[in-house]
Amino acid sequence: MKMNKKLAEELELTFKDIEVSTPEDTKIEIFAHKEQVLTILRFLKDKGYNHLALISCVDWIEKAEFELVYILTPYLQDYEAYKEIGDIHLKMRIPRENPEFETVIPIFANAEPYEREIHELFGIKFAGHPRLTHLLLERDYAIPPFRKDFDTREYVKDVFDSIPPIKGEKK
Amino acid sequence: MRELELYFGPQHLGMVGNFSITLKVEGDRILKATANPGYLHRGFEKLMEYRTWIQNFPLVCRLNVIEPDHMEMVYAMAVEKLAGIEVPERAQWIRSIYLELARVGSHLFGLWAYANMLGFDTIAQWAMYHRDLILDLFEELTGGRVYHIYIWPGGVRRDFPDGFANKIVETLHSIGKCVPDYDDTFFNNPLFYERAHGIGKITQEEAKEWGAVGQVLRATGIPYDIRKVEPYAAYDKVDFDIPTRENGDAYSRIWVIRDELIESVHLIFKLLDKLPEGEVYNKVPNPFKWKVPKGEAYVRVESSRGELGLYMVSNGKDKPYRVHFRTPSYPHGLTILEKVLVGENIADVGNTMISLYVVAPEIDR
Amino acid sequence: MNKKPKSLRPLKAIKYLFKKPKTLRYPFELKEPSERYRGLHLNNWDKCTGCGNCADICPNVAIEMKEIPEIKPEEGEKNERPEVDYGRCCFCGLCVDICPTGSLRLSRDYLHIHFDPDTFKLLARDEKTDKEHFLPPEKYSIFKASLAHRKEDYEGFAPDLIYALFDPERIPMSQIPPGERKSSFIEQVKGFSQEEAQKEASRCLECKLCEEVCPAGMDIVDYVRNIWDDNLEGAIRDIYKTNPLPGICGRVCTHNCESACVLGHQGDPVSIRWLKRYAVDNIPLEKYQRVLGTQEIESIGKKIAIVGSGPGGLATAYYLRLMGYETVVFEKLPKPGGMMRYGIPEYRLPYEDMDKDIDYIKSTGVEIRCNTTIGKDIILKDLKEKYDAVFVSTGLHVGRTTGVPGTDHPDVFQAIEQLRKVTMGEEIKVTDKIVVIGGGDVAMDIARTLIRLQMQEFSRVDIAVSCLETRDIMPATPEEIEEALEEGIDLYPGWGPEEIIIEDAKITGVVMKKCLRVFDKEGRFNPEFDAHEKMELKGSMVVEAIGQGPDFTFLLGGIKEELEYEGRRIKINEYGQTSLPWLFLGGDLIGGPDVITAIDTGHKTAKGIDRFISKNE
Repeated sequence: MKMNKKLAEELELTFKDIEVSTPEDTKIEIFAHKEQVLTILRFLKDKGYNHLALISCVDWIEKAEFELVYILTPYLQDYEAYKEIGDIHLKMRIPRENPEFETVIPIFANAEPYEREIHELFGIKFAGHPRLTHLLLERDYAIPPFRKDFDTREYVKDVFDSIPPIKGEKK
Repeated sequence: MRELELYFGPQHLGMVGNFSITLKVEGDRILKATANPGYLHRGFEKLMEYRTWIQNFPLVCRLNVIEPDHMEMVYAMAVEKLAGIEVPERAQWIRSIYLELARVGSHLFGLWAYANMLGFDTIAQWAMYHRDLILDLFEELTGGRVYHIYIWPGGVRRDFPDGFANKIVETLHSIGKCVPDYDDTFFNNPLFYERAHGIGKITQEEAKEWGAVGQVLRATGIPYDIRKVEPYAAYDKVDFDIPTRENGDAYSRIWVIRDELIESVHLIFKLLDKLPEGEVYNKVPNPFKWKVPKGEAYVRVESSRGELGLYMVSNGKDKPYRVHFRTPSYPHGLTILEKVLVGENIADVGNTMISLYVVAPEIDR
Repeated sequence: MNKKPKSLRPLKAIKYLFKKPKTLRYPFELKEPSERYRGLHLNNWDKCTGCGNCADICPNVAIEMKEIPEIKPEEGEKNERPEVDYGRCCFCGLCVDICPTGSLRLSRDYLHIHFDPDTFKLLARDEKTDKEHFLPPEKYSIFKASLAHRKEDYEGFAPDLIYALFDPERIPMSQIPPGERKSSFIEQVKGFSQEEAQKEASRCLECKLCEEVCPAGMDIVDYVRNIWDDNLEGAIRDIYKTNPLPGICGRVCTHNCESACVLGHQGDPVSIRWLKRYAVDNIPLEKYQRVLGTQEIESIGKKIAIVGSGPGGLATAYYLRLMGYETVVFEKLPKPGGMMRYGIPEYRLPYEDMDKDIDYIKSTGVEIRCNTTIGKDIILKDLKEKYDAVFVSTGLHVGRTTGVPGTDHPDVFQAIEQLRKVTMGEEIKVTDKIVVIGGGDVAMDIARTLIRLQMQEFSRVDIAVSCLETRDIMPATPEEIEEALEEGIDLYPGWGPEEIIIEDAKITGVVMKKCLRVFDKEGRFNPEFDAHEKMELKGSMVVEAIGQGPDFTFLLGGIKEELEYEGRRIKINEYGQTSLPWLFLGGDLIGGPDVITAIDTGHKTAKGIDRFISKNE
C-alpha cells in the first residue's frame, strides 16, 4: 500500500469525525472541523508535510460559508519519494457571518502574510495573529473585495464614474 | 543612539519594482523591517472570476512582467487538469524549451537588477543586452516581446517557425561566449564577494521553517526543485542538475542563479536534440460554449524564483470560481525579508532584497 | 567557492571600450519586427461579415462593432466592422484566432504618433480596401507613422485553422449509403446521437447571422445553446416560438441559416437543421403540451377558416389557436400536409415524423377537415358567412409543361402528379429508361423516387436528368444533386428539350439542344439555345419537373371578380390581406416556394387576422 493511503487511514483513526479521501494519487483531501485544524496541521507537519504552500479561501456564498484551504507539501527532492506521500489539501468551513478562526503561525511561520491577506480580502479574523493590518489594500471596504457579493464592475462604476472631470479636460 | 523610522522605496535607487520597506534603525543597524506590498495590487484573481476560461489566458501572464511564461504554464496546467485536456507530446517539449528560455531571460534580468544595485553598471548593461536577444527569440516564436501569450490550454499557440531551433542555438551560443567575461568581471570579482558574502544569511532550518523555495532554499544546500519533485511538461524526459550552494547568503544565492542559467542553457540544447515531431495543439471547445467541470486543482511549476502554484476552483460554469496564485516571492518578500533584514546595515537592504529575487508584482497580483 | 577571490581579471571589461555599441540608432536604424509580430490590426473588409465574434471574445472590451452605412451587406452579413480601441487592446490576438472568415489579422506595425490623444481608435482595414492609409515603401515615413499612416503588405500574426478557436469541421451525419438506400424508401439520414448533437451544437459561435436570414426568424442561437446544454425541453420551447413544424423543417428545410453561418467561410457551417431535428425527435409527443404550456387554451369565441393544410395553413392555424381562435383547416386531399406530404418523398420526410408535428397541432384544438375542396364542396363565400376570417394557402400543385412537340403523349408525365400518386399508394408507370426534365428539387425528388422504383422493378438504374441551367446555378440544393448522383442518375446540365421522339406511338428519346444562357441581362428567364449543338437522350418515358403553378379553383363563386389585382397578381398587404379584408393569402401562393417561407407567412397572417378581428383593420 502506498504511504498516503496508510496515512489517510491513520488520520481517520486518530481524528474523529473527519472526512479523508485520496481523489488523486498524490493528493489527500481532508475535511475537518474548526477545532481540529491546528492539531491536524501539527500532526501532519510531524509526518513530513513541512511546507505550507498556500492558505486559500473560497467564498461559497450559496451555502453561506467560507472554506479555508491549507495546502501542505513535503520538502522532498525527487519524484520517487514524493509520489509516495503527495500533497495534503486540508479544508475547513466556517460560517460567513462574523467569520473567525485561529492563526496557524505557531506551526507554520510563513502563514502570516497569507492570513493577513485573507483577513483583508475576505474579512476573516484570525485570533492570535500579531498584526491584522492592511497588506495589499490601502483602505477598508464595506464588503471585503474578494467576497462573491462584491461586484467589481459595480464598484468601478460607483467610484470612478462619480469623479468629476478635471477642468479643461476634453470630454 | 536614537531610533529612526526610515522609508525605503517605492522610489529608491536600490529598489527594483514597486515595493517598499519601512525600517526602524538605530544608526546604521536595522532593528525592525516591515514589508509594504500592494503598490501593484490589481486584483487579478478577482478579475479572472469575471472572465471566461479563454479570456483569462492573455490576462494571467501579466501577473509577472519579468517572466510571464510560467504564469501561462500554471494556468494552462490547471485548466487542463480540471477539464481533462490532453496535451500533445511535441507541445510538452516546446513548453519546456520555452520555459527554460524564460528562465534564462528572467535570470539575466535578475542579474541586471542585482548588478545595477551594486553599481556594476557594465555587467548590468551586458545582462540587459543578452536578455534582449532572448526577447528577440520570443518575438520570433510568439509575436510578442514581453507578454508572449503562448502556452494555452491544450498545447501551445503556434509551432516553431522554420529554422527556429537553429536560431535558439545560435543565440544561446553567442550569450554563452560571454560567460567567461561575466565570471571574470562579476562573479569572481572580489568586490562582489565583499558586498554579498554573509548578507541576508539563513540556515537550512530557517529556510524550511519560513517556507523558502527556489534559490533561497537551494543556496542553503537543499536541491528542492519542482521540475524534479513533480515533473511537468517534458522535464522527466531529460537529465539535468540542480545547482546548490551551502552558505545561504546573498553570495550563494547569486551564484546559484548563475549556475542555473548555465544549466538551463544546457537543458535547452538537450531538449532541442530530442524534440519530437507531431501536433502541438489539441483543440479546446469553442470559447463561447466552454464549461469546465466542477472541481479544484492545485498545480505547481518551478518558476525562475521557485515554486509557483495555482489553486483553482471551478463550479462547472464558463468562468473560474476562485483563482489563487501561490507565488515564490510571497514568502521571500514578506516573511523572509522581514526576518533577515534585522541586524543588517541600511546599505544592504537592496542587496538583501534583490538577492532574494523578490519580484513585487508577483506578491501583489 | 565561498573563498574570497583575488584577481585583476575584472579589468578585462575594458576591452569592450573598443567595441561598437549594440544599441540601435533609433529612428534612423530600425529593427524589423518578426514575421509573427502582434501589432496593429488589419481587416479585409471584403471578407469580414460583421459577425462580431472578435468583439465578443476580446478580454478587454477593446473591440466595438461600428455600423458602416456605405457597406451594403450581402444576405447573411452585417454592415458592421470592428473598431479597435488601442487604449484597451492588449495585442493578445484572440480576435485573430476566433475570426471565422480569416479577415482579421495583426500587422507588424506598432507605431502611433499623433498630437491628439483621442485618436486611439481605429476601424481596422487593410490595403485591399484602403489605399489611402496603407502606403507603399517609397511613400512611408517612420516620422509620420500612425494609425492613418501604415505600411502596406506588412502582415504579422495571421490566422491558422489548426490553431483557430473554433472548430471548422462539422460532426458527420450518419446516412444510409447510396447502394443500400436506392432500393427502398427508408429515411436516408439517421439523425444525431446525444453526444454528436452536443458536440455539433458546441461549435456555434452565437453571432446570430443565421437568425437574420431565417425566413421565419427562428431563435437559432437559443435553441442550439439549449441543445448543447442538454436542455431539450428549453430547445423545443425556443423552436416552437417561431416554428410549429420543426420535425418537418428539421428534415427538409432549405436551411438558409447554414448558408449564412460564419463557420462556412473556412469550414463547414453548423448543422442547424439536423440539430433541430435532434431536439424534436428526442421528445415524445405526449410531453409536448406540458413542455410548451398548451394544455389549456382559453377560447376567445372567434372562428377562422383556413384553406389548405400545408405549412402556411398549419402555421397560421397554430398561432391563431395560441391566441385563442377556433381554427378549422380544410384540405382537398385525404390527409393533411399539402406539398410536404404529397410532394416530398418519404425517404426525405417519413410520414410518421410529419404526423408527429401535425398531431401536436391538432392536440392544441386545431380542427382539420380533409377531402373538402373549396370552390367545389364549399364556396369561399359560404366560409365567409360561417367564419370571422378566411385564410387561403393552397400552394402550387399544378405542374407546368415545356410544351415541346410530343408532350401530349401519354407517357409524358408531370413530376408533381407522380409524386402525389406515390404518396397516395397508387402505382405509377416506371420503364427501364427514363428522361427527367428539370433541375430543381422536385426534379431531384422524382428522379430519386423513380430510382427506387426502377431498382424494385428492374434492379438497375437508368435515369437521365437534364436541365437548362449549368451545374453551378442549378436551383436544386447541392446536397440533393450530390445524393442523386451518388444513387446513379446521369446528369445533363445546360441542355433544353426540343422534341420528344415518338416511334410507333412509343417514346424512344428526347432531342436536346445546348442552352447558352438561361437568364437575360435584366435577370429575367429568357433562355437562348445553340440550334447547331444537339444530342439525343434515350428513354421510353419522360417526366417534366420544370415548376408548378397555383390552382385558383377556390376563387370560384364570385370572389375572383371582387378582388383587386396588381398586374396579374392578387393585391395583398404585408399581412397577406387582400382587398377583401376578411380574406388572407399565404404559403407558396405569395412567397417561397419552400416550407420555412410558408411558415413565415403563417406568422404574418396570424398577426394580420388578429389585427383584423380585434381592431377591424
